[in-house]
Amino acid sequence: MSDEKVWVIQAQQGSDEAFAQLVEIYHKPVFNLCYRMLGESEAAEDAAQETFLRSYQNLPRYDVSRPFGTWLLSIAAHYCIDLLRRKKFTIFSMDVETDEGATFELPDASAPDPETESVKKEQRDRLHLLLKELDSTDRAALVLRYWYDFSEVEVAQSLNLTVSAVKSRLHRARRALAGMWQKEPMPGMQPERRAYETPAF
Amino acid sequence: MKHQPFEEWLLNETSLTPEQKRELDLHVRSCVYCSALLETEMVLRSARMIAPAEGFAARFRVYLAERKLADRRRRGWGAVLFLITGLPVLFWLLSPLLSRFPASPSAWIVSLVEWGIFIVTTVQAMSQAGEVLLKVLFGFMPPFVWLIVVSAFAGISLLWSVSIWRFTRVPQGV
Repeated sequence: MSDEKVWVIQAQQGSDEAFAQLVEIYHKPVFNLCYRMLGESEAAEDAAQETFLRSYQNLPRYDVSRPFGTWLLSIAAHYCIDLLRRKKFTIFSMDVETDEGATFELPDASAPDPETESVKKEQRDRLHLLLKELDSTDRAALVLRYWYDFSEVEVAQSLNLTVSAVKSRLHRARRALAGMWQKEPMPGMQPERRAYETPAF
Repeated sequence: MKHQPFEEWLLNETSLTPEQKRELDLHVRSCVYCSALLETEMVLRSARMIAPAEGFAARFRVYLAERKLADRRRRGWGAVLFLITGLPVLFWLLSPLLSRFPASPSAWIVSLVEWGIFIVTTVQAMSQAGEVLLKVLFGFMPPFVWLIVVSAFAGISLLWSVSIWRFTRVPQGV
């Protein structure tokens, strides 16, 4: 039995220490999901804390045959979707990813030269800003699919959707992103730089 | 070849043959939309994990302790409120029985039956009074007022049902 399963079972039996181990393992993926969904590090911190609290309260109902990470991210995604629906009529800003302050990018072991890295960072910042334009469930599907490498079946299970609904949401989200991407060219981007120069497959 | 299959390939992340890859490459050079679709996919795939500020787990421990304390306080206040409001009602309901507490078992049974009859007759009287009131009101109130009253009751019932559902449902994903 893996350490994680042991901690989950111990936590279900009431061990706060075991649950603390689970928080230690999963706080980054949960925070990242909340950050991608909500766009602000402060809101993401609160949402991540709330996600762990909800999972703590609902641990007795957790089915150990299901991957703990998927269950946890599913709680986080639903919480963020609910939060965004409630905030639908209030305006809130999206942070630009920053290396300073409350959020930190995890170091990339295969970091290329600084210029390429700078262009990539600009693209990531831009994508982060465009994500807020998407419907909250579409955004969650996209984040789970591309950041967490979830299969369409896993995304469907996490968001309580059918696989065909996930496919359709992913297509809609990607079409919308591409539409916005081509409408607003990246400032300072070289016109001769073509995306297709890097093979996709 | 038309635009549609290329878009489908990109959206479905289809595994392509070398020939199809060449065709796609040629298409993407001339199609701004497919180029954007491909570029956004690459950016999505290259996006990194964002980590919270140091000490998240410690902050969560504090948050959890605060929430546990708040829950204990809320339960405590709930129990106090229940006792304050529930006990007088309980005493009022049991007062006919309590007044005969020292009496014999037969007197107990008699008072229990009397109390039951009192409850039943009160309910009957109230329903009859309601019926009479409704008959009188039917003559006074025009149909549109009834429509408003029924709609208001339906609205309140719906609101009540939704509120109960919202408070009792298990959060999704759990």
